[in-house]
Amino acid sequence: MRENLISVNNVSVNFDYQENFISKKQKIHAVNNINIKIKKGSFFGLVGESGSGKTTLGRAILGANKISSGNVIFHDDERDYDLTNINKQDLKEYRKKAQLIFQDPYAALSPRMTVRDIIAEPLEVMRITNSRQETDDRVRDIASKCRLNLEHLRRFPHAFSGGQRQRISIARALVSNPKFIVADESVAALDVSIQADILNLLKQLQNELNLTYLFISHDLSVVAHVCDIVAVMYLGHIVEMAPSRKLFKNPKHSYTKALLSSIPSIDPENKSRAIELKGEIPSALNPPSGCVFRTRCPNPCDNCRNGNTEMGLIEVESGHWVDQCCVNCN
Amino acid sequence: MSHLLEVKNLDVKFDTDEGRITAVENISLSVDQGEVLGIVGESGSGKSVTAKSIMQLNPGNTSYNEDAQIILDNENVLKFTSKQDLKKIRGGKVSMIFQEPMASFAPAIKIGAQMVEQLLIHKNINKDEAKSISINMLKRVGIADAEKRFNQYAFELSGGMRQRAMIAMALSTMPKLLLADEPTTALDVTIQAQVINLIKDIIKEYQMGVIFITHDLGVIAQVADHVAVMYLGSVVEKGPVNEILKNPKHPYTKGLLEALPDINNLDEPLRPIPGNIPSPLDRPTGCVFRTRCPHPCDNCREGKTEMGLIEVEPGHWVDQCCINCG
Repeated sequence: MRENLISVNNVSVNFDYQENFISKKQKIHAVNNINIKIKKGSFFGLVGESGSGKTTLGRAILGANKISSGNVIFHDDERDYDLTNINKQDLKEYRKKAQLIFQDPYAALSPRMTVRDIIAEPLEVMRITNSRQETDDRVRDIASKCRLNLEHLRRFPHAFSGGQRQRISIARALVSNPKFIVADESVAALDVSIQADILNLLKQLQNELNLTYLFISHDLSVVAHVCDIVAVMYLGHIVEMAPSRKLFKNPKHSYTKALLSSIPSIDPENKSRAIELKGEIPSALNPPSGCVFRTRCPNPCDNCRNGNTEMGLIEVESGHWVDQCCVNCN
Repeated sequence: MSHLLEVKNLDVKFDTDEGRITAVENISLSVDQGEVLGIVGESGSGKSVTAKSIMQLNPGNTSYNEDAQIILDNENVLKFTSKQDLKKIRGGKVSMIFQEPMASFAPAIKIGAQMVEQLLIHKNINKDEAKSISINMLKRVGIADAEKRFNQYAFELSGGMRQRAMIAMALSTMPKLLLADEPTTALDVTIQAQVINLIKDIIKEYQMGVIFITHDLGVIAQVADHVAVMYLGSVVEKGPVNEILKNPKHPYTKGLLEALPDINNLDEPLRPIPGNIPSPLDRPTGCVFRTRCPHPCDNCREGKTEMGLIEVEPGHWVDQCCINCG
C-alpha cells in the first residue's frame, strides 16, 4: 500500500491579467513552485494571509484550476491520476474521490432545494446510484453520520442555523464516498462554540470514513488543534512546513514567528505586543525579486534586501522544512 | 462622577411579519471616559443592535420600551427626534467603525471627499481646514502617502488600509464615544495586530470611551477594560476583563472559553457548547440560556426562574439563575 495520497510536484499556477484591452498582458503568479506530499489519513493544514494562494493551490489539486507547470498526482489504490493531463472520463472518476467543503454555509446551499435534494445531487449528477431507494439510503446514512436530524431532510436550508448548514455541506461533500477532502476555510464563518463542534465532527468522520484532508485556514489556533502537518504560505510560496507541534513550538521562519505572535492572547495580563509586520502582502502581479518576504521581513540580510537570494525549502530538522533565505539570513 | 454613557433597562423589539422579536432585553451598561467596554457573544446575541440603539440607527420597525434610558453626556438620546439632535449623536459625539470597510465607504466618491463632508457637517470649519485635519488624521493612523490616498477611491486601498481610513474618518470629528462593531473580524491576523495596537494608542491619546464589539475573546482580552457577555439579547455576565476571563461564573462564559482553541495547550480537546442558539422568535421563557445549560435546576428547566444580574464580587455581575442553579 502506498503512503502518499497526493503528490504535488513543482506546481505553479499563473493567471493572465489585462487591466483594459489596450494595456499589456500581465501574469499573476498565484502559486509558485510548490512541492507537497499529503499522506493517506493525514490532516494537512495550509495557512497564510488572504492573497497568499492557499485557495488556488487547493483548487489546483482538485483539478478546478488550470496548472501552469508541474504536476499533481492522486495515488488511488489501483492507479494514479495525473491531473495535468487527465481525460474527461478520468476527471469524472476523480471528482467522486476528491471533494470540496466551502467557507460560507449560507452561500453554498441552494435556497430552493430541500436538504435531501442538496445532499442527493452529487449522487444523481455523477450517476453513482441506480435507484431512488438507493439514493435515499445513502443520503440518510451520511446525514446521520454528520449528526443531522433525519426528520429535517425535507426542510429548506433557511430553517437551519450556521452550524447545521455547515453539517449539510459536509454531508453533501461526503455522500459520493470520497477519499480526499479540501476544506476551504470551512469554520471561518462560524461562531466559536459551533466551530469546535464542526472541527470535532471533521475529526470523527476522518476516523470513521478513512478520509484525508487538506484544511485551508487563516486561523492558526484552529490549525494547531486539528492538523498533523502544517504548511505556511506567503505570496504563492510555502515558506515553512513541519508537523504541527514542531511548527508551533519552534517556528523558524520570521513570517511564521510574526503570525504566531499576532494571535491575541486570551490572558489580559499578557500584554506582549505582536511582532508587527510592516505594510501588507505585496501584489502577486509584481512580487518582489529573490525572497518574496524581504519587503516585510523584520531582519533581512543585505543579500536578501537587494533581492539576490533564491527561495527554496531546506530540511533543518527531520520533517521540518524552512525557506533557505530565512535560514541563511539569521 | 457620572458616566460618559449609561444604558439603563433597555429593551429593543422588532416588529416583523412573523411577530414581535425581542432582540435585546433589559440591558444596563456604562462606559467611562478613556474606558473600553468589550461586548462578546455569538451572532444573534444582540451586540450590534445594542450599539446601534445608541446612535438610533435601528430600522423603522424598532420599538424601545418606555422606561429605557440611554444617557450620553446627561442627555437621553432615546428622546431625540429632531434632525438637529440626531446629528449630535450620529457622527458628532458618537462615531462608529464597521466590520466591512468596503461596504461603509461610498464606492464612487473619493475617500478625502467623504472625510471632508462629515467634518463640514459636524464642525464649524471651512473646506481647507477640513482637508488638513483629514490628512493629518490619515497620517496619524499610519497611512503612508496620506495626500495621495486622500484623492483615491476605497477600491484602490487594501483591506487593512481601508480599515485605517475608516478609523481616521471616525476619529476626525473627535467623538466622545467610539462604537467599534467587529472592526478586526474581516482582517488577517497580522493586520489585526496592527489595527488593535492603533486603536489602543488612539484611545490613550484622545481619552474617549469605546464600546468594542467582537466574538473573539482573544481580542477582548487585549483591548477591553470591562466585558459584558451577551446571550440571546441579555447580558449574562459582566465585570473587569481579568476577572471575567480568569474567573468566569456563568456556564455560557465558561463554555465560550472552553470552545476556544488555545495554541498553548494543544492536548486539550475542543469542547463545543451543546445545541444551537434558539431563534429569537421562540425565545425561552425564564432564563434564556436554559436550553443549552449543562446543569439546569428543575425550576430553571421549566422556565420559572427570572433573569437579573447580581454582584458576586465587587464589580463582577452574574445572572442570578445561574448562581441559584449551580
